[in-house]
Amino acid sequence: MLVYAIRRLVLIVPLLVAVATITFFLMHTVQGGPFDQDRPISDATRANLNARYGLDEPLPVQYVTYLVNLTKLDLGISFSNDRPVRDVIGERFGISMQLGLSAFAMALILGLALGVVSSVYQNGALDYVSVFFATIGAALPSFILAPIIVIVFAVEFGWFDVLGWELFNYKKMVLPTIALGTLPTAYVARITRASMLDVLRQDYIRTARSKGVSEFLVVINHALKNAMIPVLTILGPILAGLITGSFIVERAFSIPGVGFTFVTSVLIRDYGVIMGITLFYATIIALMNLCVDLLYGVVDPRIRY
Amino acid sequence: MATEQQTIAQPFDFAGHQLSSKQRGLWNQAFVRLSRNRLAVASGTLLLLLVVVALLAANFDVVQRHEPSAQQYTNINGKPSGEYWLGTDPLGRDMWARVLDATLLSLKVGLGAEAVVLFLGIAVGLLAALGTRWTDGALMWFTDLAYAFPDLLMIILLRQVLFGRDWPIVGTGSPQIPGMPGYLLVTILAISFVSWVTIARLVRGQMLSLKQQDFILAARATGATEWRIVRAHMLPNSLSTVIVAVTFGIPTLIFAEASLAFVGLGVPAPAASLGTLINDGYDNLLANNLLVIWPAIIVASLMLCFTFLGDGLRDALDPRTRK
Repeated sequence: MLVYAIRRLVLIVPLLVAVATITFFLMHTVQGGPFDQDRPISDATRANLNARYGLDEPLPVQYVTYLVNLTKLDLGISFSNDRPVRDVIGERFGISMQLGLSAFAMALILGLALGVVSSVYQNGALDYVSVFFATIGAALPSFILAPIIVIVFAVEFGWFDVLGWELFNYKKMVLPTIALGTLPTAYVARITRASMLDVLRQDYIRTARSKGVSEFLVVINHALKNAMIPVLTILGPILAGLITGSFIVERAFSIPGVGFTFVTSVLIRDYGVIMGITLFYATIIALMNLCVDLLYGVVDPRIRY
Repeated sequence: MATEQQTIAQPFDFAGHQLSSKQRGLWNQAFVRLSRNRLAVASGTLLLLLVVVALLAANFDVVQRHEPSAQQYTNINGKPSGEYWLGTDPLGRDMWARVLDATLLSLKVGLGAEAVVLFLGIAVGLLAALGTRWTDGALMWFTDLAYAFPDLLMIILLRQVLFGRDWPIVGTGSPQIPGMPGYLLVTILAISFVSWVTIARLVRGQMLSLKQQDFILAARATGATEWRIVRAHMLPNSLSTVIVAVTFGIPTLIFAEASLAFVGLGVPAPAASLGTLINDGYDNLLANNLLVIWPAIIVASLMLCFTFLGDGLRDALDPRTRK
């Protein structure tokens, strides 16, 4: 397993180089440069700025320089505020990660609970309620959900704040988490229900019941553990998606996270930040997928690497 | 012993019974099953209704009632009335006309991008499954690479790369396709270049499993050419899976465009998609929340209808779930 993990880790490197290459050249084909603003600047200023950020070199030279710096984990300098890209991402990522992780916690806890309950009471009232929730939740994208819950819970009832994010302040935490977490919750609930229904019909469940194991322990210990395998496969992509894909919720609640920084950096062609965020996200996605593959082996001892 | 006339067992009248029930093909059966699914039928009908009303509004002033971009400063943020059915926005534009206009635009993006996705996905999937081991490896590495990119970030970047060019058709230059302006095609291309991977993998998997089936061997034994096997046997057999994927794919693509528009990277004004309307409405949430509610209802119904229709199609087309 260790050999497998190391081999997979090594394979991430060419993937990242490919991502870096494609993003680099795509980004430079976007019309306009980082210093083309509404207010025209003099040629001398432009030449100085280009020299300062190494933009006066031919593109292939810039590309090689970037890759060489990358090996030293140097992501370059942001043009918009003259700070190292690494610091900008580090500062913004904290907020995105808090938001992503709380939505992930919601998806995991609520999704698993809904899925287990509806599979245990299959075709009962509770099952219909949770399937209904899962279907509606899966069809409501965050940019629809965000305005609706803001209108109802923040404006009409005044329970929560309309904007902002602050860890452990429920007034600022609940609405963004719901807006981001509902879709993955519905997804987890759906997969858990299907997988649990499958497992509950297996012979070893009957054996456990006939031994006299209590129904609660059968569901939690015998069934859920085995039903987790298909759920695990989607948890990796879901976590990666939540951490990287939160920019809609960030825009809706004016949260200064990574996603929103990316959108602005594309608009003002802040090359360093665009590259940095894309590579950073690609790394996260690759590592998540690796983690999921390794977890398989832990959950399902039949899988060997 | 009473000599009773014993009836001699008659051979079962196969022909009579067989002919009494109508023969039905695969698609016919699937259609019958789909039409029994009330939720799917209702969703399909609602979708059709939305498309028809949006199309009528784009072509007939009677349905559209007002120009979607006509501003009227005497009636801003108006409540729904007999004249303005859904109210007006902060510039006094009629929401009924704007919502229908935006619905048509979002549907165009969804269907257009799905067409490109389908073409790319089937082409790559076929090549991967039917080519040599080397082409399979290369194409699958390529799809892995496409998976590695953060989707929405890539769409945003691609959109910026293609946007604002003076190229013909896909840009501001002439000629333009009527009803499909350049900025719309830019959005469609940016979204579909990122989204084709799923269909490609699906088609590849289907082709690889179909390749091992006996009926393909039988076809090959009768001397069918490789191309005929693909066209007449393998593609139709993987079609049902692809149709279901397409039905679930269209709302995701509409969602992708709406997300772009929601962060301000949508179609340029005065054109507006449903995402643009939600974005505009969000900024006026406290003044007039109807601006957000109307387009939100349409997007939610589009998503739900496509999901229910997809569920229905899957149940109707998948032989394993037949009762």
